[in-house]
Amino acid sequence: MSTCKANFIFPVLFVVFGAALGFLGNADTFRRKVSVELNPGLKPPLALPPEVGLVHVRGLGLNDTLHFLLCNYGAPALLLVHTNSTESEVQVDWPAFLNRSLPGRLRVEPQSSVKYSSALVFTRVWEYDDVNNTADPQQTAESAFYPPYELQNFIWSRLNATFNQSDHTVTLCGGEKTESFLNGTLCLQFSAFESEDRDKPWPSLLHNANSSQLRVWLDGVTPRGNDSRFALEFQTVGESGFEGRVDVHSSIDDEYTPSIFKVSQWVSFPVNQSGVWGYNQWKPVAYRKAEPVFEDATPCKHSRLVSVNQIPQSRLVQAYFTNDSQIHGLNISFGIDKDPIFYSATKYVSWTVLVGMGEPPAESFSTLIIIIMAVGLGTPLVIIIVGGVFVWVRKRMSHSSVYEPIN
Amino acid sequence: MAGRDEYQGLLDEDEDDEGVSRYSPLCDPTHLLHRILVLLFMCFLGFGSYFCYDNPAALQTQVIQDMGLNTASFMQLYAWYSWPNVFLCFLGGFLLDRVFGIRLGTIIFALFVLIGQIIFAAGALANHFWLMNLGRFVFGIGGESLAVAQNTYAVNWFKGKELNLVFGLQLSMARLGSTVNMNVIGWVYGRIQAMVGSTGHTTLGITLMIAACTCLFSLMCALILGFLDRRAEKILKKEQGKTGEVIQLKDVKDFPFSLWMIFIICVAYYVAIFPFIGLGQVFFIEKFAFTTVQARAINSIVYIISAPASPLLGFIVDRTGRNILWVLLAVVTTLLSHMMLAFTFWNPWIAMCLLGLSYSLLACALWPMVAFVVPEHQLGTAYGFMQSIQNLGLALMSMAAGSILDLKGYLFLEVFFIACLCLALLAVVLLYLYDYYKEGDLNLSASTRASRIKSEDVERLHVPQPSVDDHDHLKPLSPFGLRNRYLSRLGVQMPDHCCPHLSSLAYRSVLNTEDALGISQAERHVSSLQLCQGSSRNQSWKETAISRETEAIHNIASRNCCWRNSPHSLVQKRERAQRTGAFKHTAYQNEMDPLERRAAEEDLQTSQRIKCLNDGGYELQNHQMATDVENNITVNTHPLETTVLIIQHDWRDFLQTQDILEKRSPSPPSLSSDKMSTSISMTTLSDGSTPSRGRDCLFGAVGNKATITDSSRVLQPRGRRGETDVLGMERYAVHD
Repeated sequence: MSTCKANFIFPVLFVVFGAALGFLGNADTFRRKVSVELNPGLKPPLALPPEVGLVHVRGLGLNDTLHFLLCNYGAPALLLVHTNSTESEVQVDWPAFLNRSLPGRLRVEPQSSVKYSSALVFTRVWEYDDVNNTADPQQTAESAFYPPYELQNFIWSRLNATFNQSDHTVTLCGGEKTESFLNGTLCLQFSAFESEDRDKPWPSLLHNANSSQLRVWLDGVTPRGNDSRFALEFQTVGESGFEGRVDVHSSIDDEYTPSIFKVSQWVSFPVNQSGVWGYNQWKPVAYRKAEPVFEDATPCKHSRLVSVNQIPQSRLVQAYFTNDSQIHGLNISFGIDKDPIFYSATKYVSWTVLVGMGEPPAESFSTLIIIIMAVGLGTPLVIIIVGGVFVWVRKRMSHSSVYEPIN
Repeated sequence: MAGRDEYQGLLDEDEDDEGVSRYSPLCDPTHLLHRILVLLFMCFLGFGSYFCYDNPAALQTQVIQDMGLNTASFMQLYAWYSWPNVFLCFLGGFLLDRVFGIRLGTIIFALFVLIGQIIFAAGALANHFWLMNLGRFVFGIGGESLAVAQNTYAVNWFKGKELNLVFGLQLSMARLGSTVNMNVIGWVYGRIQAMVGSTGHTTLGITLMIAACTCLFSLMCALILGFLDRRAEKILKKEQGKTGEVIQLKDVKDFPFSLWMIFIICVAYYVAIFPFIGLGQVFFIEKFAFTTVQARAINSIVYIISAPASPLLGFIVDRTGRNILWVLLAVVTTLLSHMMLAFTFWNPWIAMCLLGLSYSLLACALWPMVAFVVPEHQLGTAYGFMQSIQNLGLALMSMAAGSILDLKGYLFLEVFFIACLCLALLAVVLLYLYDYYKEGDLNLSASTRASRIKSEDVERLHVPQPSVDDHDHLKPLSPFGLRNRYLSRLGVQMPDHCCPHLSSLAYRSVLNTEDALGISQAERHVSSLQLCQGSSRNQSWKETAISRETEAIHNIASRNCCWRNSPHSLVQKRERAQRTGAFKHTAYQNEMDPLERRAAEEDLQTSQRIKCLNDGGYELQNHQMATDVENNITVNTHPLETTVLIIQHDWRDFLQTQDILEKRSPSPPSLSSDKMSTSISMTTLSDGSTPSRGRDCLFGAVGNKATITDSSRVLQPRGRRGETDVLGMERYAVHD
């Protein structure tokens, strides 16, 4: 009898919860078919320098295609091109590209199908001696800064070895030929996504099929001072006619990034139109360990957006964009005012940014929270209603049968 | 209440007259100034423990950074405080009463607090986190029990005088300790940091050592209090204060459903408050971008608000009654404020002030409810159990909250707290429905409660003078049903238990004040008995024994009566007293509420006030007995059930009128007509000994010889009683 009941109950529960989940999980179900290739169209006689590569990630949608191009020839850069055609292709004029980058050496064909393109270039790693412990490079005297590490001069490990076809990630690690980077590396991990999801490691940014993620970490670099802190400089290159601004949104939801209630997004939008076309989104948090716990989180801060005149030293960007592009730069500094832990304590800091097109993904409550709230608030409510009916009925009953006095 | 105070006052005057007044006011233990001095020490007795309890919360970031902890292990500091109290709640009162005594006990517990804090600080100095946990454990052993001791002292010194105010002050002092800690200790840390030159475990250790000074201060207060109390005892020849708790773990299985609901509310509510405050500081910094100073201030606002709000809300709750609705309001408000903190960026001051108010309201409305649902003798167990599972819940939930925060962040933690509050809400609603279904007292308004009590009195007043006709009237109702109906109301859900205005301040006060008053009442009674003896016709040693027993019985009975201040006129009281006298003989002990009886037995056996009495001890001289019999017995044909209830009511009423009667006509305590029995039953004693005095003044002889013989048939001993069986109640059978 009881098993019979259980057999009946479980499917019912399953259906109810399934329906609830389906209803609640009305999130983005849009998917792209993602494929990754290395050095598209490069034929054997021609060869890139051994540590250099061009990764092409193609995200095929229903009626559009999203191209991501990652290249470490020069400063590492990520180029995003959105086309409204499913047939669009990346064409590289390899001999010219290898020789000297000039605009037009790298194109996405047909060019008329290109709707939006933008690039993110990591240009420098700053190191400064934070004697006053403000963790703010803008308040730090010029003299406290050490010479920056120029990423265009970095020696990178071979791309082939770190190429992961199945989960569409590419890891790039490199360093300068100095003592600081003897045991240390700066790494960039690029991921492309087929659908909406989150990465497991913090900050677990919500991504969708229109976005890709770059995680940057500085591991084991010998600091040049005891109170060294680091900052990362990056630039975006966009087509003319677009403007950028950095918004900081407050979010009540810190479930996936504990204790972080803010989201920063650097959006680019056309000058005379509304709507966001592309974004770089990050949470103002960096982690001091590779497998962080709550206490390893350290806040980070971004500087004001500055306009840059010179196109960054990246072959990829130089080969794609023309000179009238919009270029802006930004510094991200790790650490917070009066933070007693400096880089030397863990010799690790990691930071993650989401790069994508369209509107940046917005956080919403997790299903678990919604279920807890619904059950938590619903049960007393149901009991109140049922109890109210019970009390009402009982009152009526007691009214109808009034006690007769004994006398 | 007022009435009692008066008599207490009268009693004090008597004591003053004995010649204590040779001391200057400040040294005179009976003088107000001296009591204020004592109060000062009493308040600071708990200051150290409250100051140090929330040290981790006030130094959250520093502790975590300096000791290299994560939040889960940080919260262990609170869990380790709670662990010993899971068991000590049952033991604290016992240790104070039986093992150490209040003075030594207080000193020992204060010492535990001090040593615990020193170990805690030493752990920080030596950079051993396990040592810090050990320190918190030792601190926890002392902390909660010290609160019990503090309340016991308060009752001992201020019972019947300024007790409400004293409890209020003590509670405010406790909150003050927490608040001062929240706002000062961070600054102290900053100064030490400036002196030492860096942060680190040494700085933390020194800061905590400085905090330990408050515990040393408290220990000094304990020593001074002990000295003053001892001195007062010598001068006034009074007893050492007792918590009067009786813990019977086997009672747990008898706890009613509503009590379990109250337990659930208690645990589910408080786990959403204290761990939150423990973790609150960083929450406000991270979510609302507060500075550290602001965060500490807002984190302490709950305590700051509860200091003035507790007495005020307690007063309101007392005046209005309807405890469940107040609890419901408190839970819902807390739920709302937690939701505000979780889901909005509204100014958190709003939410925290709401939280502070609702926290105070809940304390005022929830704790007294226990007294409505359990019989008096189980109150100690119920409160002990409640606090025990509260501590267990806090210990577990502190760790759970830390882990949740580490893994899932603040939103999820808040949702977890909200879920706990939803559970509390569910329990409140179920409690309301259950109470409604059972027609309990929990949700009556104060006026209804009063009128219910009054209507019972009126009902009784309207019982016509017993006659054969009346007997016929009552016949249609089955005795069993009638009895159950009343006994359930009298015994299990005493309508006049309600002294929530005290318990709203500190739950311990329920136990302490009631017991203390019970004792004091008994004391007074004894003194009056002794007074009577002087002028008595029969000054036999037997009477001393009897008076002792009477004292004990009065003690018990007075515990069941809660100095409800019903505005009956003296005449009414006398009338009632007469009637009690009239009916008493038809009472038989098996009709007593079993719970009451058990309480009585336990009390008698444990209090050891009563020696074993010889069988012949209660024989009385004939003329005494004759008068008694003559005066008391009017009717013996009254239905037993009615009589029982009347006697029980009357007994309670009598206890209130007792003093008046005693003072007016200090006639010797007469025993009832128990010549047939070889033992004195509780009910007979109580019925007989008291109202006869009232009757002496008013009635004269009402009864006649015929009824005497009848009545003597009513009570007959069945079987020979053992010598230790003092009450021997169950040995009576009715032969009617």
